[in-house]
Amino acid sequence: MRERLCASGDLPEGEVIQVDLGDGRMLAVYRLEGDVFATDDLCSHGDASLADGFIENGEIVCPYHMGRFDIRTGEATGAPCSVAIGTYRVQECDGEIVLIS
Amino acid sequence: MSEDAHRWLEQYPELGTGPISTEPYISSQWYEREKEKIFRKTWLCVGRADEIPKAGDYKVKKLAAADTSVILIRGKDGQIRAFHNACAHRGNTVVTETDEETFGGGKAAIVTCRFHGWVYDAEGRLKQVPSEKRFYDCFSKADNGLAPVHCDSWEGFIFVNVAAEPETSLLDYLGDYARHFAGYPFEALDYGFTYRTYLDCNWKVAHDAFAEAYHVDTIHAGSFPNVFSTGLQNVKLMGPHRSCAVCLTLGAKPTPIAAIANGLARASLVSRSAETMLPPSINPDKRGDFAFELSVLFPNTLIHVSEGIWFTHQFWPMAHNRTLWEGRYYVKAPKTCSERWATEHAMTLQRNAWLEDTATMEDTQRAMQSRAKLFQHLQDDEILIRHGAVIVDRFVNA
Repeated sequence: MRERLCASGDLPEGEVIQVDLGDGRMLAVYRLEGDVFATDDLCSHGDASLADGFIENGEIVCPYHMGRFDIRTGEATGAPCSVAIGTYRVQECDGEIVLIS
Repeated sequence: MSEDAHRWLEQYPELGTGPISTEPYISSQWYEREKEKIFRKTWLCVGRADEIPKAGDYKVKKLAAADTSVILIRGKDGQIRAFHNACAHRGNTVVTETDEETFGGGKAAIVTCRFHGWVYDAEGRLKQVPSEKRFYDCFSKADNGLAPVHCDSWEGFIFVNVAAEPETSLLDYLGDYARHFAGYPFEALDYGFTYRTYLDCNWKVAHDAFAEAYHVDTIHAGSFPNVFSTGLQNVKLMGPHRSCAVCLTLGAKPTPIAAIANGLARASLVSRSAETMLPPSINPDKRGDFAFELSVLFPNTLIHVSEGIWFTHQFWPMAHNRTLWEGRYYVKAPKTCSERWATEHAMTLQRNAWLEDTATMEDTQRAMQSRAKLFQHLQDDEILIRHGAVIVDRFVNA
């Protein structure tokens, strides 16, 4: 199943945006070196929106406590975060970024 | 001397003519009263809105004279709010300050205390407490936001007032001063430089050195030779604030380099210029020799405006005999290389003049502290200093 997340133009290179799936799930959607990725938006440590954080070396840095996650794998890579976040399969086609499930 | 040698006394006889005591400049007890009666009670200008342009941007400013430092943060709603930089947990500073002013920000629009990770949003609410469950029932996040500081703005200048309840609104506090400068394009002239240094002098010594033009012929003989000698014009006292015009001597000849620079860009005060942007209350008689308006926004901010140029001085007391001085100079951003050169030339001259100004201040303080002379004698054109002394006395003894 494909679910539209946003238009390609909504997500510039090196940026992250928050997408509300409307069913209680909130994703952080990233464009990194040309590819698109998605993770849970909620940090596993605090209750911060990761889309409010910033990207550094392929990691999303949480704005609350500067913990880090690998954007590609969801692995917690920087304290105080220690629990991985979920990742999702996304694709870009016909000017849209879509969630594949 | 012309017959109008005492024209300001005639206009403002209530200020008197007597000598001014040096005690308020050298007494640590007097300074404690100034902190309580002035710096903890009045509106203080702490920056420009364009210093924190984006949602989440913040600036922390130390206010030693009010025994605090304030976080100025722009919320996701665009509004700038002010809070004491103190964590509700165990009192640490929330933002770690690295200087007199500390800048930061991010689109989350929050600040996090680095000690235990308490997170506050731009409305001051306590958003997150790590291990919150270990606190007891009597602790409530809702009751433990950042302590707010009254904050308002005028013409892009941000003001705070640390009093629990300010005696007046910012606009009432500014009164006629706000009307006098309303409409000047502060925001459009946003290219400039800032100098900042600590001076071993009382804040009023620094204020006084900039609040008259009597010194220009002697102190600035090098950087601005023979240009100001017509004295002050249009002195206007507005509650605790004060303003006047400083005029150029007609026909004064600039140095050859200055003449070239003045022809390329409007970046120097010491050059003639058409008037296109001054509010009608400034130079109302359209004097041809008008150079700039010199004003004091009580207690510690001087705002000077001219055609195409504005600049401020701020004197932040650190102790009765120590002051942080900040000078900021703004012009229109240059568009060509020659304009850039002319602007740099003007700024360098201004920097030299400020060095000449600040050079007297520590000497003045040392000599005053010797108590060899207990009074200062002011002439008619030093009326802004006299007014300042009267206003400080009125606040301190209120």
